[in-house]
Amino acid sequence: MSTGAAAIASAAPLPAGRRGPPALLISALAVLFAIGCGMALVLAMGVRIGDAVAAFAEGAWGSPYAIAASINRALALGLVGLGFVLAQRANLTNVGGEGQIALGGIAATAVSLYGGAASLPAPWSFVLPMLAAAVAGGAWGGIAGVLKVKAGTNEVISTLLLSFIAVWMVYGAVQSEALLRQPMTTTASLPESSEIPDATKLPPLSADADTPLHVGLPIALALAAVVAVVLGKTVFGVRLRAIGLNPVAARRAGMRIGPAIVWVLFLAGALGGLAGAFMLQGDQGSLKARFSSGYGFDGLVVGLLARGSVPGVVASAVLFGFLRSGGINMELAAKVPSALVLVIQGLIILTLAGAAFWIDRRKEPAR
Amino acid sequence: MSDEMLAVFIGSTLRLAMPLLIAATGELVSEKAGVLNMSVEGMMLTGAFAGAIGSWATGNAMLGLAIGLVAVIPVALLQAFLSVTLRANQIVTGIGINILVLGATTTAYRAILGRHSRTPIPGLDRWSPPGLGDIPIYGEAIFRQTWLLYAALVVIAIVAWVLRHTAIGLAVRAAGTEPRAVDKSGLSVTRVRYGAVLFTGFMSALAGCFLSIGDIHTFTDGMTNGAGYLALAAVIFGNWRIGRTVLASLFFGAATALQFQLPATGVNVPTALLIMLPYLMALIAVGGLVGRQTAPPYLTQAYVR
Repeated sequence: MSTGAAAIASAAPLPAGRRGPPALLISALAVLFAIGCGMALVLAMGVRIGDAVAAFAEGAWGSPYAIAASINRALALGLVGLGFVLAQRANLTNVGGEGQIALGGIAATAVSLYGGAASLPAPWSFVLPMLAAAVAGGAWGGIAGVLKVKAGTNEVISTLLLSFIAVWMVYGAVQSEALLRQPMTTTASLPESSEIPDATKLPPLSADADTPLHVGLPIALALAAVVAVVLGKTVFGVRLRAIGLNPVAARRAGMRIGPAIVWVLFLAGALGGLAGAFMLQGDQGSLKARFSSGYGFDGLVVGLLARGSVPGVVASAVLFGFLRSGGINMELAAKVPSALVLVIQGLIILTLAGAAFWIDRRKEPAR
Repeated sequence: MSDEMLAVFIGSTLRLAMPLLIAATGELVSEKAGVLNMSVEGMMLTGAFAGAIGSWATGNAMLGLAIGLVAVIPVALLQAFLSVTLRANQIVTGIGINILVLGATTTAYRAILGRHSRTPIPGLDRWSPPGLGDIPIYGEAIFRQTWLLYAALVVIAIVAWVLRHTAIGLAVRAAGTEPRAVDKSGLSVTRVRYGAVLFTGFMSALAGCFLSIGDIHTFTDGMTNGAGYLALAAVIFGNWRIGRTVLASLFFGAATALQFQLPATGVNVPTALLIMLPYLMALIAVGGLVGRQTAPPYLTQAYVR
């Protein structure tokens, strides 16, 4: 599978000078096309388009609570997307977000419940589980890096397989009392972990309970800025780009490619693990069997949409956060299946992947 | 383990391995030709959905099977158009198709069957080879299966023979090993690859129909539930050889069958471990720990004339 890396060129970031309006315009058109198709489907299903749009708007941004919930969704998606973009710079396609979230969730739960995090003073009580999640997710990404360097394993295959393994690890962990399952006090105790202590939950930004925005928002924005700086202004960023554009030349120039590949997949995985910590400590409160619930794959789409740029990640994470929230409410209020949002997402991915043909042809020299 | 339990175990291993076996054989053909279809999952789901709906609407499982096979054509053509003609990233397009199909089939199933979702769907008939079905204890449990299982075994044998011994097989293998040579010999790499992807589509749809109208006679949202990815894992673990791919599928089927059997025998192995076992084995295989992996050299590589 070692030849696979070069084939992923179509998902590779464009050279800095050539990125800009055309690619962004094409991304925007792809999104509009997909949403248009979604609207047509809503119509075809006999739902009044006004009802559907109203329900969507209500769920996505109809109240301060809805807005905050949409933003919280966007945080997890954005972190996975950041990781995707980071690895993409080295021409690596990290499709393991789902597993990295799952591992992050396991680690954060373990440290919150049994690692003594709750008894630590204020910032550390919730920071320690987050760090544990980042390390666990990073290790999961790093495995793919090591396999790539040592055995030439295509990282797409390995991160995908690792995701399935991790998802079932969560399932196993919440089934067994020896692991993370809550004590079975009655026969009705569900196969999930106990609720994590309040001290380990991400503190809200305001005392107002109507807006569940939490401290994860500034952390995620700060990380986005850090990733932008790392990619744009540091030696590590330049090195990643060199490896992505031409690994042979990079090696000839004396770069040590192996460690860079392992590191960048570790960092991408760490961001995914952190997304898991956000979902656990900021939202769900306990680890359940279907913990990661597709966020990893949504985050992959967010990263793809961004076409290699960090502001692009922020924008598409927000888009998908609102899209998901609106879609859920559309199902509740207007009886439109939220699966329709999946259709729109699939269409966005496919139109973008196909559109890369025209974007890349623009920058190819005439033959 | 008693004779009855062993018989049930073998029978359910066959039944659970079959969809993987069919889909993995299909996927092997297009990987040989240099195209990786992450979309096997989506194509299976398309087949499962259209087969079930067709069977329900016409009241005839055979017609349902035919409808399942027809319905996969646009999905397979979409994959081929994106990855062969537009040279888009094969993995990304595959994942996109899977998400799209999951959304579309879930939505359409609710829209079409909504109120009737519990109506039984006519399924394919069962059959057992003459004589074998009458063996005491084992016959009924092992050999009395959907006829599609036997038909699929024949198809797989034919595929193995065509790949190895015919000009078509040579063209398919060459498209993934040395596409330039295919081109120089006057054949179109694009056509060979389109054909291979379509074939994967048909086999995946057959696998999907096996799940919905062959095995349990119903459709549920996202019922393939990762079986397509398992088929991909079987091809990898099978090291791109048909015999080993068949063995890998059977092994994965056995691991799945054990999930249901072990609790009955009182053996305490975590279910999660058994479910993740196939993925773990595939990871070990691609990690190069069980001999050298020899993927077709041009796998995932678009061909530019």
